[in-house]
Amino acid sequence: MTYEIFTFGFMQRALTASIIIGALCSIIGVFVVLRGLSFIGAGTSHAAFAGVTFGYLTGVSPLGMAVLFGLGTVWIIHGLYQRGIMKLDVSIGMFYTFTMALAILFLGLMGTYNAEVYGFLFGSVLSVTAEDLTVMGWLASGVLALVLLFYKEFHFITFDQAMAEATGIAAGRFFFLLLNLIALTVVVSLKTVGALLVFAMIVIPAASAYQLGRTMLGMMGYAVVFGVGSAVGGVLLSYRFDLPSGATIVLLATALFFVAAALSPKRRTRAIVARP
Amino acid sequence: MTTNEDVIRFDRATIHYRDRVALHDITLGIRAGEFIGIIGPNGSGKTTLLKAILGLVPPVSGSVRVFDCACERLRCEHRARIGYLPQKDLVDPHFPITVAEAVMMGRYSSIGLFRYPGKADRAIVSEALTAVNMVAEAGTPLGELSGGQQQRVMIARALAQRPEVLLLDEPTTGIDTPTQHAIMELIRRLHRDLRLTILFVTHDINLISRVADRLILLNTRLFAAGPPSDVLRRDTLAQVYGKDIVVTDHGAAPYVIVGDHHA
Ligand SMILES: Nc1ncnc2c1ncn2[C@@H]1O[C@H](COP(=O)(O)OP(=O)(O)OP(=O)(O)O)[C@@H](O)[C@H]1O
Ligand SMILES: [Mg+2]
Repeated sequence: MTYEIFTFGFMQRALTASIIIGALCSIIGVFVVLRGLSFIGAGTSHAAFAGVTFGYLTGVSPLGMAVLFGLGTVWIIHGLYQRGIMKLDVSIGMFYTFTMALAILFLGLMGTYNAEVYGFLFGSVLSVTAEDLTVMGWLASGVLALVLLFYKEFHFITFDQAMAEATGIAAGRFFFLLLNLIALTVVVSLKTVGALLVFAMIVIPAASAYQLGRTMLGMMGYAVVFGVGSAVGGVLLSYRFDLPSGATIVLLATALFFVAAALSPKRRTRAIVARP
Repeated sequence: MTTNEDVIRFDRATIHYRDRVALHDITLGIRAGEFIGIIGPNGSGKTTLLKAILGLVPPVSGSVRVFDCACERLRCEHRARIGYLPQKDLVDPHFPITVAEAVMMGRYSSIGLFRYPGKADRAIVSEALTAVNMVAEAGTPLGELSGGQQQRVMIARALAQRPEVLLLDEPTTGIDTPTQHAIMELIRRLHRDLRLTILFVTHDINLISRVADRLILLNTRLFAAGPPSDVLRRDTLAQVYGKDIVVTDHGAAPYVIVGDHHA
């Protein structure tokens, strides 16, 4: 591999995209891992993919539809949960499969094979356009700005939502906002890593960081290093050896997880528990 | 029964969870600076009483007023003035957080939106840690502390709110006797030095009767409220705890032994 590849436009775009999603996913992932929300991210990625297929089917913006479907699912799931109709994981489980069924339905209705749609399923970082980058950049900045703005509120509700509420923080609203940010993160990353794998990008770097970080901020620092490292490394490796980019990124992140787990001072590997 | 000086006032308040009555027709006034002990068997509504004060569970009838403001309308600023130590909170031992950070969370509500903790907040945190004698552990991960130490940290967090009212839900349960007495001594000192209004829920009647100005005996309804010597009478307690109750005159304060069979 020579430095020449860095002069290719598609490679520059691919690397920019991987830095953006590597950083974004890992920071959001810290909340997801600590608050035990893995399942909701997985559910949203399928909803977002259904949005993409709907967009291609009807000829409206696939990314716009992905945002709509992703957020819509979060709103419905949260609504069911808040009214006490259903436990969070049950309603997520339902929507997970329901939106996947929708996606399959829309794919079937399209009739013809559309490579672009499958790009959203499996991820195609090397075909990221300048326009994609602009959208990703804006969405990612928006999400990160909100995290920064409400860092202490998110910190508190992630640690102890009931207590945050009791001290007068609008905990329920911040939890809802957090779910929305997770959905947006999924959408931003959809094209690069694909609907099937996007969730790995959110959970794995944060899980690796969990082995090493002593504070939530420290954990975010590690997560960004792992996330950006595996995204950039994955892109370069996939180009060099002609491998599918999404899979390469995720496999690299997983390898880093085992390194982190081995280095962990506390061997906290088994301690990640769901707390819906 | 209630006067204008009351910081907390229940007026014929009834509280339900779905179809279950947790508190029925409670009328009660608590004055600023009082040290109140709340006793009653399991499920008698002690925790619910504290949650009602925080405005977390609204009354279905009657009213609950705190700082002369109805609880349904208790704005978030009011909650910030009430320190709360929940009943045996299961802290995730692996959550990456230090002792000082956990105490700082007590400041978050007062700091307000769009702002970060400043120098003054850090000073309050170290003051709160000093009060519970945990300064040396400020940088320690919370999960590495013992249960009793964690309890002190949680008290420090409540103190960091700079509260006027402190609600403590069984702060000494599951803690060894010397630490229990240390925590009790700490709370007494805070009451004395900071003139806090304290509501202390406990099953340890003999521990609380020595320090509380008044005891409140609950069993869904309010059975008694008054100085310990008035409340700790055999016939009063028997209504709530059943017949197997022994009250002995143990020097100045009555000593209570609750039997196995509840009413
Ligand atoms: N979240 C809830 N949902 C439904 N019912 C509840 C809830 N919390 C409490 N209850 C019911 O309300 C009643 C009072 O409960 P509360 O927790 O106030 O009792 P307590 O006096 O604190 O008991 P303990 O000594 O066991 O802590 C009980 O019958 C309980 O089952
Ligand atoms: Mg209780």
